[in-house]
Amino acid sequence: MNPYRRATLLCSVGLGTTLTFASSHWLLAWMGLEINTLAITPLMAQHHHPRAVEATTKYFLTQATAAAMILFASTTNAWMTGEWSINDLSNPIASTMFMAALALKIGLAPMHFWMPEVLQGLDLLTGLILSTWQKLAPLALIIQTAQTIDPLLLTLLGISSTLVGGWGGLNQTQLRKILAYSSIAHMGWMIIVIQYAPQLTLIALGTYIIMTSAAFLTLKMSLTTKISTLATTWSKSPILTSTTALVLLSLGGLPPLTGFMPKWLILQELTKQDLPIIATAMALTALISLYFYLRLLYAMTLTISPNMINSTTPWRTQTTQTSLPLALFTTAALGLLPMAPAILMLTT
Amino acid sequence: MTYFMFLLLMALVVGLVAVASNPTPYFAALGLVVAAGVGCGVLVGHGGSFLSLVLFLIYLGGMLVVFAYAALAAEPFPEAWGSRSVLGYVLVYLLGVGLVAGIFWGGWYEGSWVVVDGLKEFSVLRGDISGVAVMYSSGGGMLVICAWVLLLTLLVVLELTRGLSRGALRAV
Repeated sequence: MNPYRRATLLCSVGLGTTLTFASSHWLLAWMGLEINTLAITPLMAQHHHPRAVEATTKYFLTQATAAAMILFASTTNAWMTGEWSINDLSNPIASTMFMAALALKIGLAPMHFWMPEVLQGLDLLTGLILSTWQKLAPLALIIQTAQTIDPLLLTLLGISSTLVGGWGGLNQTQLRKILAYSSIAHMGWMIIVIQYAPQLTLIALGTYIIMTSAAFLTLKMSLTTKISTLATTWSKSPILTSTTALVLLSLGGLPPLTGFMPKWLILQELTKQDLPIIATAMALTALISLYFYLRLLYAMTLTISPNMINSTTPWRTQTTQTSLPLALFTTAALGLLPMAPAILMLTT
Repeated sequence: MTYFMFLLLMALVVGLVAVASNPTPYFAALGLVVAAGVGCGVLVGHGGSFLSLVLFLIYLGGMLVVFAYAALAAEPFPEAWGSRSVLGYVLVYLLGVGLVAGIFWGGWYEGSWVVVDGLKEFSVLRGDISGVAVMYSSGGGMLVICAWVLLLTLLVVLELTRGLSRGALRAV
């Protein structure tokens, strides 16, 4: 794509999120969300093949529906209470509609159906922007309104998201769909604790962004989109293979890696709030997600799949892609657990 | 006046049903014209006469006319609201409207089918006119962002339809 156009669109995506972050009026927040949707649409369709255009269309329709619902809920709230400010949602109809709309925006179950198909149709970098940056603005709104939303709705959204994220990802062989279901599961973890300790939601969001960026950038570096091609990356870059193994385990939430931090803190907070059954349910659903991360790990590092080796191992020349972001995100995805107290203090 | 507002609101819902039931764009644009027109009438009834005038001129007279010209793409088999596929949608949506009205108003005997009259005042600076003035003064930053969004929409549409028959969105 023309670099001027790409720069303009990326800056507009940034503007949209910034606008939503900075706003206290629902109309301005809605404008920011719409700017995000609008600006990312040509980025998604830049490779003009039908699969990408289909993904763009689906994404645009779902996000536009969610934005229309947000507008409807904010006008309902203004009609009933006269308040346009984000922090004062006193009408239960409006707050429930807001939560449903924002859940549709970030892909929480049961409004998650668009996520795997949309991510599958995109190239890896656009998929990364969709999974990380596009979640920031709606989550900012959710954090601000979480106190006024029905607790049952939040809990249901959280548990069903982790369940769907786990079960849905089990039968997938396409890596982008696996990462989509992993995103759904992580969003579920973020939502479940938002009414008790919003700082844990922020920690979960931060660690999720780091780990998913590491995963997407690894896949981009080795240009793999399926498990079958993932199985041959050992010959192309052994170091990347070993770090990716650890990044996958971090996504699954195993100590002593970074991914353990949000899960640990969230389970602790849930037990402190006297909700042991919900905590157990969350931990068990995380096990399901762990299974498909382990499957990826197994295919990549623990076995060499039957392959017709018609030549010698390929020359491992220096890669032409920028490797600094990948290095940064991988390091952060593996080593941030000892900094948990500092991170907690930063987000409180 | 109450019955007039009731008529306008009913016409709004029927117009929306006419648009949502997937006829050919000719007829959907007609439905949009009707819906926007009666929406302007509702606005006037609530005291926003300036806003209603602006909506009529710019939206109906500018945007919708341009859209109608653009959407008059060659449609070999135009389908109006009487053709089987569209009629199904129309009936289902009207049924849905009746159902939701029944749920929210508690049946046909409870709840008011007509609007409740608001306060009537007459002043030089009405809410809508001073609203426009505020938008240009205190709301200057938001106005700039709105203008940028409009420009962005243009760029997005141009980028999506770039390439004519080789581009992303093409008549297949």
